[in-house]
Amino acid sequence: MKTLEIIIILVISSASTILGADAHQTPITLDKAKELGRMKSRFLNVTDTGVPATRSVPEANVTYFRDFVGPSLKKSCIACHGPEKSEGRLRVDQLNPDLLAGADVERWREVYNVLSNSEMPPEDEPSYALADADRGDIVDWLSGELNKASVMRRNKQEHSSFRRLTKYEYNYALQDLLGLPCTFANKLPPETASEDGFKNSSELLQMSAMQFETYREIGLKALKRATVSGERPKPVTYIISMQEELDRAASGKAAKTFDQNDGNYSQNRNRQHLFDRETGKGIQFSSGKSIPQPEAAAGQTPAVSPVVLVLPRSNELKLNLDRFLPDEGIMRVRIRAGRSTMNANEYASLRLIFSAHTSNNANFSQVISERDIPITASADDPQFIHFDIPLGDIQRNPFRKLTTTFPRRDEFLHIHNVSNAGSRGTPLQVLIDYIEISAPFYEQWPPKTHTDIFVESDDKSDEDIYGREVLTRFLKHVWRRPVTSQEVDQFMALYENYRPGFSTFEDAMLEVLATALATPEFLYLIQRVDANSAEAHSTISDLELASRLSIFLWSSIPDDELLELAEQGLLREPEILTAQVKRMLADPNSKRFSQTFVEQWLGLDGLDSVAHVTDSSLREAMQEEPIAFFDEVLRHNRSIMDFIHSDYAMVNERLAAHYQIPRVYGPHFRNVPIEPKTNRGGLLTGAGILTMNSDGKDSHPLKRGVWMLERILNDPPPPPPPNVPEVDLTDPEILKMTLKERIADHRNKPACISCHSRIDPWGIAFENYDALGAYRTQIQNQPVDATSQLFNKQTLAGMDGLKRYLLTDRQDQLSRAMVHKMTAYALGRPLSFSDRADIDILTTQFRKTDDRLGDLVLLIISSNIFNSK
Amino acid sequence: MINNSSYLLNRRSFLHGTGVALALPWFETFAAGSPSSEETPKRFVSIYHPDGVGLPLKSDPAWKDWSWFPRGGENDFELTKVLDVLEPLRNDITIYSGLSHPAARTVHGHSNADQYLTGAATGGHGPYRNSISLDQVYAKQAGEFTRHSSLVLSTNGGVGGPRGAQTQSFNQEGRPIPAMNKPKQIFDLLFVTSSKDAAARLARSKSALDLLIANTRSLGRQLSKHDQETLKQYLDSVRDTEVKLEKAQKWLDTPVPSVDARNLHLDAEPREARLYFQTMYELIYLAFLSDSTRVATFQLGRENGEGPHDLLSMAVGLGGAHGLTHAVKKPKGWENLGTYNRYQAEEFGRFVQRLKDTPEPTGKGNLLDNTLAMHGSASSSFHLSRNYPIISAGGKNLGFTNGRYLKFGKGNEDNQAGAGIVSDAGWRGKIEAEELPLAQLFVTILRRLGVETDTFGGYTGTLSRV
Repeated sequence: MKTLEIIIILVISSASTILGADAHQTPITLDKAKELGRMKSRFLNVTDTGVPATRSVPEANVTYFRDFVGPSLKKSCIACHGPEKSEGRLRVDQLNPDLLAGADVERWREVYNVLSNSEMPPEDEPSYALADADRGDIVDWLSGELNKASVMRRNKQEHSSFRRLTKYEYNYALQDLLGLPCTFANKLPPETASEDGFKNSSELLQMSAMQFETYREIGLKALKRATVSGERPKPVTYIISMQEELDRAASGKAAKTFDQNDGNYSQNRNRQHLFDRETGKGIQFSSGKSIPQPEAAAGQTPAVSPVVLVLPRSNELKLNLDRFLPDEGIMRVRIRAGRSTMNANEYASLRLIFSAHTSNNANFSQVISERDIPITASADDPQFIHFDIPLGDIQRNPFRKLTTTFPRRDEFLHIHNVSNAGSRGTPLQVLIDYIEISAPFYEQWPPKTHTDIFVESDDKSDEDIYGREVLTRFLKHVWRRPVTSQEVDQFMALYENYRPGFSTFEDAMLEVLATALATPEFLYLIQRVDANSAEAHSTISDLELASRLSIFLWSSIPDDELLELAEQGLLREPEILTAQVKRMLADPNSKRFSQTFVEQWLGLDGLDSVAHVTDSSLREAMQEEPIAFFDEVLRHNRSIMDFIHSDYAMVNERLAAHYQIPRVYGPHFRNVPIEPKTNRGGLLTGAGILTMNSDGKDSHPLKRGVWMLERILNDPPPPPPPNVPEVDLTDPEILKMTLKERIADHRNKPACISCHSRIDPWGIAFENYDALGAYRTQIQNQPVDATSQLFNKQTLAGMDGLKRYLLTDRQDQLSRAMVHKMTAYALGRPLSFSDRADIDILTTQFRKTDDRLGDLVLLIISSNIFNSK
Repeated sequence: MINNSSYLLNRRSFLHGTGVALALPWFETFAAGSPSSEETPKRFVSIYHPDGVGLPLKSDPAWKDWSWFPRGGENDFELTKVLDVLEPLRNDITIYSGLSHPAARTVHGHSNADQYLTGAATGGHGPYRNSISLDQVYAKQAGEFTRHSSLVLSTNGGVGGPRGAQTQSFNQEGRPIPAMNKPKQIFDLLFVTSSKDAAARLARSKSALDLLIANTRSLGRQLSKHDQETLKQYLDSVRDTEVKLEKAQKWLDTPVPSVDARNLHLDAEPREARLYFQTMYELIYLAFLSDSTRVATFQLGRENGEGPHDLLSMAVGLGGAHGLTHAVKKPKGWENLGTYNRYQAEEFGRFVQRLKDTPEPTGKGNLLDNTLAMHGSASSSFHLSRNYPIISAGGKNLGFTNGRYLKFGKGNEDNQAGAGIVSDAGWRGKIEAEELPLAQLFVTILRRLGVETDTFGGYTGTLSRV
């Protein structure tokens, strides 16, 4: 692998080796490394206005062929594959050694395969034998040239940002358009990730008839959910008062009550029970049964009762709601609850689970609350919390409407206490005195989602005028631009065509609006060509910028404010643009940016394909950590060098326990200062990343190395050749080896060495972290050997050494990689050679801001490349 | 090219001979305007019965007569009293042992009807997820040529519940497809003119597509050459949808095959079990014969069920169906369960015979030669989700060689693993015998039906010897 880029790195790093030579005995601190590395930046040290050329267009290395490869081939191959004989119709003397410009790439690939697998020259032809060193040279040269050729081919294509919305963007767009936080897009097929890992990459976002039909179906369904017809439906309401439950339970024949003065009270109090806080009497209680009360009104606030349900950690109240919940609509569950103790280190939250028994020995259950809701009030002053559950979206008991009683028709709601309460002393418990369940629940009638579409108007009685009003408004949001009256005419014509088939205006109009949701201007990100300037890279319009912005930071369509500024032509005013970006990042929807970008950039869905994380709260925390970390750096506008190392970690209680960081309580992520001895800090030591790059039993240095190169350094290794020899695990000699030795053994095969010497050392530096990312100093009673040597002879002493090396010698590459990745994501297209200059300019600007992540977002948004077609 | 007039003549004249007067529209032959629509249809039907079969221990006196699996080798097998009703069809059937879906092997049999045709890890409790069923994979391809892409039936109807399926068919997203259970409704769907609603819906869709095409064209004019290419994919998708609508419209405009229902008992209910059973089978037969569909599933009862399923077993003078599996150690217990399974086999055999007796309208053999009919359950012994008892029939022209008893796996040649159990400790116990993934048989079936695939439900490869 001798691309120019590597040569450049070699030059720089050899300089650094000299610089760092005297520090060899006592390694510098990582902070020092950050400073030192920054001083070496080429981007910051440019004197002229020009931009340093990075990764210039690859060139074929024909010299090396002429001097070394050609003569070797001639010696060993030409007798059978030359002018005399041309077996397999191959003449090596006629292959064009310029793989980038020539037409023989495929033939060269064959040569590469047979040489790297030692299939040629044939063993029984000793006179043509190829020395291992020569074979290595040829294979090395070919692997380098083949890789350059494929980079070349990929990068030559021009890519456009014109693309359809991804599945998740479409989902968010519908949510924001209709004001409904539902999952709409499940039926759409998943997206394919680009080589950069991005799912929003224009060349991969296809369309098919099946998908088109699904859009139409989803659109109509979503509109029907947002709107209502007829009278406000009467809700069913269940009221569960713990006072009444206690009265009922205590009157039972076998009722076993207890008193807080009893000797065994300490046992009883830690089980789930009903308790009268005034009398000190209690009774065990785990499940209730309730039927709707016809006269009950939801939304009550009865006086606080001394009788409460005591719900200890991990316990749940299972409520049998029989079969009266409606099929559709929101179920609002209101719970008045407080905490038994107020120790700040303990938390308790409630989660809802829904279940039914479909036969004996078979049941199903499902968590239906989107997130756990913390209980923060004290038991003396309990407060209401509520959950809103869309009944049409959850798995219901399909037998609830049977007229017979088997299979069972009833449905169960479980109220579950998720908590970190300790078991000693006076543990934190949740005390509930009142529960109210009501469905369908409406804040108002007709709901806002309805009146946002069918707006209030004086012209409601005139269907033609009102229809135009509804359409004009709706189309503007769907298309993210003002619409012309001719465009409205088209849709009115469709409406008139439909109207006779429906009994109401609304029903007919919904079908028309659903058609609007299937138009390309909703499903795609449009960039129109200026009638006057037909240049390829002209500037996008203000309205198109508004859409690009909102897709970048919100993964969705622009809101009214953005559209208005764009319409007035003000959006590009620098102060206004800056203020808007600030506003957008302050909006909760910007969490989508942190989440989708980080998931794709780092390939976090890799966690879904490993099965060795059995603790679901650990898995969730692993998944969340890099997102929380990115979000922290973004919101505090910190340097992205924190991704390599930071003196803080973003953890919640579960992850902190995994990292052995003490005194972190609760499920939310927060910034915690850490000591070097935790061996954490930055993204590389994140348990999720280490875990997904493991093989289930142990660490996987190769995966970790490839991940580093692809995601962090943006220097992806070439894909493995076909027919790579497998490591033979039946060979007792190999079984005896340590993992590192095994890797070295594999690497030393001529077919493998060229790529592996570039990958393995990176991964070996991670060896102090096991398959779950826990820190270790021993593997099977042997000390961990995490020291490796890069191809440029640079020694990496474990994770610390790796971080130090990256910070000292690779800052430019790290910055540029970040700029490259985020720009590719922001544009929704792969970058190519022609984008290089723009990326270099951005990198220089970015480095000048001290690599601050928040500034990068603004730099990208203000850049030429972001504002061009 | 087949000469249409003579072809139709043949088809008509022979249809009269089947006992049901069936007039086919000429449109059938042009169905999709595709050459393959004129080829002989390849059909698939799967029958599911819950509660497994009788599997006594060898030491049990009932073993000789009432063990479901045959005795003997691949060709010289001997049917017990349970399956001897299929003796006349011996050379048209294949019996399998040693097959099951690995993901459900340790799940209680009551939960497993859901995964019989899908092989998904549907589990026994907690969140639930399924995947596409075998029949629907084929229906995606075969449905192009027929009015109905598949016919989904069960005695209980609907979808049932998670782990309590009342349908054998699951769509691409793993969602259950509701099963029909009323003969009259099924008949109307197949042979009575469809509703005006469908026509109105189609008309609306057509107008919407017209608008979308116009809208897309005018947008296209404002895009760069490169982006126009991207947009073309959208336009093509709309056009493809238009073609589909036109096809749907053609079906609407084409009269449904007219069938004389006088000989059918469309009001039959599970209470009149034999009649109901035969009517349901007859409807599948008619749907195949008229090429209204090439894919069907039919589930008898539901796991752990009361209701229609019991009525079927009561009709042969026995108690509740599920109870039979619990009572095998009672006097005549194995015989009763065996008798019930025998009755299921007998009705299946009657259906197979009917297919066999009916010449294929294209002249290529008989209906059975071009149909693979599968009959089975997701448990063998008591709640034991292994060694599924599976029979397949027909498919000669698809490449199936019948008249064989095919044993797969290792260590259970005489089907004694898990035999004789009547408690849950039995199916929960450790079983050493090795079985092969049933999904591999599914891959074989799909390939013979002309679906190019190497995998099903995550399992790769076909089943040798089949």
